[in-house]
Amino acid sequence: MVEDDADMAESLKASLTADDHTVDVAGDGELGQSMASEGGYDVIVLDRMLPKKLGVSVVRDLRDQGVSTPVLILSALHDEDHRVEGLNAGANDYLGKPFSTRELLARVRALWNGRDREPQTRLAVGDLEMDLLARTVKRSGKKLDLQPREFRLLEYLMRHAGQTVTRRMLLENVWDYHFDPQTNVIDVHISRLRSKIDRDFPQSLLHTVRGSGYRLEG
Amino acid sequence: MRPDLGALLKTTTFRLGLVQAGVVLGFVVALLLYVYFETAGQLIRDSDVLADQEYASLERSYAEGGIRRLNQEVVERAARPGSMLYILAESSGHVIAGDLPTLPSIPGSSPQRVDFSFDRNTADGSATHVRARGRMGRLLSGPILVVARDLGDTAFIAGRVTRALWTVAILGLALSVISGLLAAWQAARRAEVLAGTAREVMGGDLTRRAPVLGIGDEFDELAQAMNGMLDRIEALMQTTRTAGDAIAHDLRSPLTRFRQKLETALEQPPNSEADREALRKAVEEADRLLDMFAAILRLARVEAASNWRLERVNVTDILQELAEFYEPAAEEQGLKFSAQVNENLAVRGDQGLFTQAVSNLVENALKYTPSGGRVEVRAMQRPDGRVEIDVLDDGPGVAPAERDRVVERFVRLEGARTTPGAGLGLSLVAAVARLHRGGLHLRDGLGDDGKGLCAALVLPALEMAP
Repeated sequence: MVEDDADMAESLKASLTADDHTVDVAGDGELGQSMASEGGYDVIVLDRMLPKKLGVSVVRDLRDQGVSTPVLILSALHDEDHRVEGLNAGANDYLGKPFSTRELLARVRALWNGRDREPQTRLAVGDLEMDLLARTVKRSGKKLDLQPREFRLLEYLMRHAGQTVTRRMLLENVWDYHFDPQTNVIDVHISRLRSKIDRDFPQSLLHTVRGSGYRLEG
Repeated sequence: MRPDLGALLKTTTFRLGLVQAGVVLGFVVALLLYVYFETAGQLIRDSDVLADQEYASLERSYAEGGIRRLNQEVVERAARPGSMLYILAESSGHVIAGDLPTLPSIPGSSPQRVDFSFDRNTADGSATHVRARGRMGRLLSGPILVVARDLGDTAFIAGRVTRALWTVAILGLALSVISGLLAAWQAARRAEVLAGTAREVMGGDLTRRAPVLGIGDEFDELAQAMNGMLDRIEALMQTTRTAGDAIAHDLRSPLTRFRQKLETALEQPPNSEADREALRKAVEEADRLLDMFAAILRLARVEAASNWRLERVNVTDILQELAEFYEPAAEEQGLKFSAQVNENLAVRGDQGLFTQAVSNLVENALKYTPSGGRVEVRAMQRPDGRVEIDVLDDGPGVAPAERDRVVERFVRLEGARTTPGAGLGLSLVAAVARLHRGGLHLRDGLGDDGKGLCAALVLPALEMAP
């Protein structure tokens, strides 16, 4: 983790450690870059505003050096231009402050799981199967009829099966919306999806994680 | 206040006056050249031709009849009335016959052009100095012959005309300078009034406005623009002041609740369920505070209106997606939700901000419309070419008198205090509308007798590529 605010670094480190990660902290961009390029890390959490070297330059230089470790940029500047700039520089995810610790843990976990993943054409969780080419979904061999958006929602959940996925992650990745709805819109979409994939089956796959989001698990 | 002469000479108006004077002067010089060419110039050319013909004719007489015949011809011709002058002299220069007692000069071997003055006796006995021009030469290296034309009167008239024109030119130049100074003085006086207003505003009196004379000239236009700018600045200052007060006021209660939740947590036995619950509530309060700050920052960034890259925004697609996004939540609340979005609508803007603005309007409608009500999204191209996006509901609505006020920052009507939200939603939408050179208008909604609210976002349309 590259973070210059010592309090913030300590509190995030404690949370990540409690979530079974081992964390090294670098206090500025240059140190962060040299540690990251030595390798051995699974995920890099990088603050955007750093002393000595900005987070965006660190990612760009790491990618130029051929370091492909997944990078999550944390930023107080949560607007479209900065997000696009960060992602273009080679970051894998971009999280605007303020964020909850759970949000950060979920995203780190998603990056950690996503390392070295091959492009897939079929996804499966328990007896739920998705064919990405034919765009069909079956459960226990029975075909389920999903709307295009429900399909994308389920696809994202299946790609992150076993992990907690936050509402904000769904909003950003399924709808490409970068604002916080004040209403429970996401929950309603989830409950509609749930009624299609879980209602007629004895075992539930889509679980609510209280205070965080959702998890699809077989 | 009287601008001094030195300052006047530096003004743009005076410089323009000088340029104008220069143009007048240039025109007069051109006119002079033309008049000279047409009068004096023509006269001289005619004289030269005439003198050359006479000279040639006399040269022939000499060749045919010798000095005697030449002498006779010169005497005859000199005696005729007219403007031609003849002089015949021995090769030594001693004048034998002709109009004048002396040669203008001693010629060289070849014939040459002569231009000279002589004293002519007028009828009253006085002498005038007149100009003559012609040809002089030695005939077969013998006698000297001069044939010239008296330019007297014509040259005199041309001279008078030239002098008159010069006088007009100088007078014109003087008048140009004076009128330039007057115009400069007039302009400087009006500019000084505007500058004075600006100085008083700088001095702290934001209520000062530049006087508008109502004659519709460029200074009036400048004064109006300046007053418009001052109105905007004053309104912004007022908003900032109100916003500052509102932030202080609105943050006090969540902060107090936050503190109280933490205190409650401290009083509970550690790691108990009550302890956890109090902490969870404290986090919720903190989230609400952070949301408010995020909303304030976002609004400030939109209002600063700089560094937004405005691109083509496909209104139709965005609205259809938003409708699809919100429809399930609306149905869950027991609302009838529908969308009528025309095809091929586009504006120039920021896609993220536009999406958020419309989503704010839809969320407002969902939040305030009670179960069983209707919420409708409509989008169309108006006859005036602008794109209008309406979000209508048949909820409680907003009283017409309150409509301007709810768009202001932090204003939440009585009764809205119990629902979550920072009271920034509509002001963000209005700010986004301004950024897109459009506006947010609140009207009567869907209910009977205009009950409910219609929030209309009106933006300049972007022509769709075919």
